[in-house]
Formats: sequence, C-alpha cells, structure tokens
Amino acid sequence: MTSLPESWFLVLSGALLAIGVFGLLTRRNFILILIAVEIAMNATILNFVYFAAFSTGGAGLSGQAIAVILVGFAATEVAVGLAIVLALNRIKGTINVAQATELRE
Amino acid sequence: MNLEELAFLALAVVAVVTGVASLLVRELVHTILWVSVFFVDLSAIYFLVAASFLGVLQLGVYAGAVTILLLFGIMVTRKRIFSRDAATGIGPIPLALAAVTFIFLVAALGEFPQNAVAVTAYDPAALSAGLFGTYGPWLLLLGVIMLSGVSGAIYLVREGRE
Repeated sequence: MTSLPESWFLVLSGALLAIGVFGLLTRRNFILILIAVEIAMNATILNFVYFAAFSTGGAGLSGQAIAVILVGFAATEVAVGLAIVLALNRIKGTINVAQATELRE
Repeated sequence: MNLEELAFLALAVVAVVTGVASLLVRELVHTILWVSVFFVDLSAIYFLVAASFLGVLQLGVYAGAVTILLLFGIMVTRKRIFSRDAATGIGPIPLALAAVTFIFLVAALGEFPQNAVAVTAYDPAALSAGLFGTYGPWLLLLGVIMLSGVSGAIYLVREGRE
C-alpha cells in the first residue's frame, strides 16, 4: 500500500501554480502564455487527484470525476487558444500579444 | 524514507524543472519538448497515487493531443520553426508575485498532517459508473462546452474573414 505525506503534494501544486503565474506575467508569445495557463491548470488538476487519493469513499471518487472533466475543459481551452493564435497571426503577422492592440485603441 | 517517497520527490523535482525550463528556453520547439516531459511526469505522479485512469487520460490528452496541437500552432505561425524568440525581460514584479503566490499556498501547510497518509485506489469501473451516473450532467455540460468551443475555433480560423 502506497503512503505519502499529504503536504508534499501541496508544495508541488503551489510551485506549479507559481510557475504558471510567472509565465503568464512575463511571456509575450501567445503560445508560451497558453503553456503557462496549462501548467497552472495542471496544478489544479493535481490538487483534485491527490485530495481524491487521500480521502475515502464517494468524496474521493468525486475528486477524480471532477479531474476528468477539468482535463476536457483544458483541452477545449487549448483548441480555442490556438484558433486565436492562428487568427492573430493572419491579421497581425505575429503572435506577440504586445502588438495586439485593436481593442485598446 | 521509503521508495514511494523517493519516487515522488524525483518526479516533483522533474516537474518543477521542466515547468520552469519550458517557459525560459528561447526556442519555441524546445519549449514543446520540455512541456511534453512535464505532462508525462505528471501522469507518472498520477500513477504513483493509484489514479491510473487519470494517468492514462493525462498521457493521451496532454502528452499526446495538446503537445501536437501546440507544435502545430508553432509550425503554421513561423517561417522557420527553429527560429528564436526575441528575449523578453524578467521583471522583479512578476517574480515577486509568483513568489508571493507560492508562499501564500505553502503557508496553508500547517493545516495538513505532515505524516504519511495511505493512498486510496479507485476502480476505474467505479469512476466510469460515477461519470455516467452521478456526474452525468457535468459530462454532458463538458460535451456542450467542447462542441461550442470547437465551433467557435472553426469560426475564428475560417477563410475569408477579416
């Protein structure tokens, strides 16, 4: 039977969320921003999975079910994000978000 | 320290290193390589906590589909896929905000038991029965959102639209 300290998982998912926030704030390339969001999203899914693993009965099962649904949401988000990347590239010729200023003007 | 704890520590270090590397390397194709290692590493963590269904899903959806989609996005938006990105500065404010996020989350650690807790394994059959039973409406909502998301994506990229 596997047994692990619960707090280690919290540190890991906290670190992954911090990495995602850092990437979201510093990168200007749309694809890198998408990857940063994915890393932060994976930190959330990891939370659901380990809280499911450390609880028993129906509560644990619901954690895994929510994690499955979140994976689906994340995949949809990547598809929509890449469509925006392609549209931005066609209109502006670049995927640098600093140059996408239409709505600002 | 037992074998599982060692395995978790090794996987956690790989996850953090590959996550940081994927955001800091200059070539976008290298980013995809690092992030695919990150996704595979997370699926290994899922297998470690006996969530085998999630582990397989992570391998299929993230390490497989999302990685290929991102690579495709890079291929169609650059003339040379190995061209480098212009360097963007790492200011002190984003670093500080990331550090504050991390410290804030770790500060909650006092609430959790520090000793090892046994991991509960769930039967994938029970999980799928739950997904199509109790959580059926949520799965249906996911399908509706995916359909509208993909329809919106097709509308965004269709020809002749400015």
